[in-house]
Amino acid sequence: MANTYLLVYNASLAAGWAYVAFLVANTVYNGGWTKEVYEAVSVPLKIAQSAAIAEVFHSVLGVVKAPFFTTFIQVLSRYWALWGIVEVAPEATSSGSLTLLKAGPVTLQLNMITLLFCWSVTEVLRYGFYAAKELGVMPYALLWLRYSTFVILYPLGVASEMTMVYLAMPVIRKERPLSFSMPNSFNFAFDYYYFCWIAIACYVPGLPELYFHMLRQRKKILGAPPKAARKIA
Amino acid sequence: MPITLSVQSRSGKEVVKGGIPVPEEATVHDLQVKFHQLKPKFYPSRQRFSLPLKAGEKKATSLAHGKKLSDYDLKDGSVLIFKDLGPQIGYSTVFFWEYFGPLVVYALFYFFPSVFYPTFKNIPDKHPVQTMAVAYWSFHYTKRIFETFFVHRFSHGTMPLTNLFKNCGYYWGFAAFVSYFVNHPLHTTPSTQVAYVLFGLAMLCQVANLTTHVIQRNLRPPGGKGYAIPHGFGFDYITCANYTFEIYGWILFAAATWTLPALIFITAGAAQMAIWAKAKHARLRKIFDGKDGRDMYPKRWIMLPPFF
Repeated sequence: MANTYLLVYNASLAAGWAYVAFLVANTVYNGGWTKEVYEAVSVPLKIAQSAAIAEVFHSVLGVVKAPFFTTFIQVLSRYWALWGIVEVAPEATSSGSLTLLKAGPVTLQLNMITLLFCWSVTEVLRYGFYAAKELGVMPYALLWLRYSTFVILYPLGVASEMTMVYLAMPVIRKERPLSFSMPNSFNFAFDYYYFCWIAIACYVPGLPELYFHMLRQRKKILGAPPKAARKIA
Repeated sequence: MPITLSVQSRSGKEVVKGGIPVPEEATVHDLQVKFHQLKPKFYPSRQRFSLPLKAGEKKATSLAHGKKLSDYDLKDGSVLIFKDLGPQIGYSTVFFWEYFGPLVVYALFYFFPSVFYPTFKNIPDKHPVQTMAVAYWSFHYTKRIFETFFVHRFSHGTMPLTNLFKNCGYYWGFAAFVSYFVNHPLHTTPSTQVAYVLFGLAMLCQVANLTTHVIQRNLRPPGGKGYAIPHGFGFDYITCANYTFEIYGWILFAAATWTLPALIFITAGAAQMAIWAKAKHARLRKIFDGKDGRDMYPKRWIMLPPFF
């Protein structure tokens, strides 16, 4: 029973994120850029990303073996990026960008498209991987991609998330959304602007830790490659 | 007859070339002292020796400080696994700093509001509830420091140095968090009369908590490390009655000051205490299983009647 449920859940989310990826590609192909892309994906993106809360419950209820704390932090960070940053300042985050390098005709920049590209590709592979596991088939290509693409997509994705924060912060600073101040009957105050700074600070130790964890997983699951792989080939 | 023990790291590397010669009837402590002489960096409390994992064993047996080597069947040529526990620091040192911090940090907000609330030109006079709160808070942490030096007996002598920073971060941080809001110039103070009653009850919890600590002290003879079934003053019904009074006291503090951060503080504290209490309850039930002449651990609440 749990297996059928997990298969349906993971397959639906893989499909949902594939649809997001398609919308991104299609909009860019038709001459759209960050603003048009976000308009196109907004609804399916919010549904697919918000559905990830189920993974926290899976972990609590023991439906999957994933550790609670790690799952919780991962889902929380995505919720924050989507609902706490992008949706708080949709105008700023979907029209701005951060240019890293400009050399002649080549411009390297982080923006809404790089963010959605990283998220959707990662999630299609991740949910596709879980769905395949429930089916009991594991194409090596899928296994390899699941444990390899993060090497680039993870840092690029986090850099894109931080770009969104960078773009949203002036708005948050000015409008102070989700904040309340003294006096009130709880005798408590909350300033979302400073909360965001603390959240950013949490990325600093979190990022390398998760990245090295994933690298170790990669080594464990894909084995000790180059040498051995070449021999077989 | 001296025997030679081979000391290896977990990866199987020999830590002391040629092994460590010790008398056959030596204790674990003698071995630690000898090891310290050979490896001056690793003082005894920093060392942990364990027996190599046997087939089917998941957790290695660590050598207990007071035991004899012969208790573990160690013979000439036996192998021991050495682990460096990292820099160690005494329990009472950690406790002092983690309690001294809140004492100072909390009072700073009360006595120097112009520094901490710089945007307020006219800071109102302290409300009696805020004064009661600083008095209660200071009493509590003074009591803890007093208990550290004159009441508690610690089953372990030391802990890793990193705990000092972790614990101080927790206590000092929460002290600032709670104090900032309780002493805020725009603090909406609740009824003074109600606060008198609640703080009065909270003080009774403090006295009860001190009583439980004295009972716990007398369970363990000086220098002893064993466990006994606690009795009297709440312990007849609750395994960790000391936590019960501590938590009730802070709930009363939060209610008297009507400040959400104080409630957050006690929720975090109670969650941690619940983990410790559960472990202690399980340990006591395991030790006192009623078999082979051992006492049977009675049915008790773990920490927070009527819930837990």
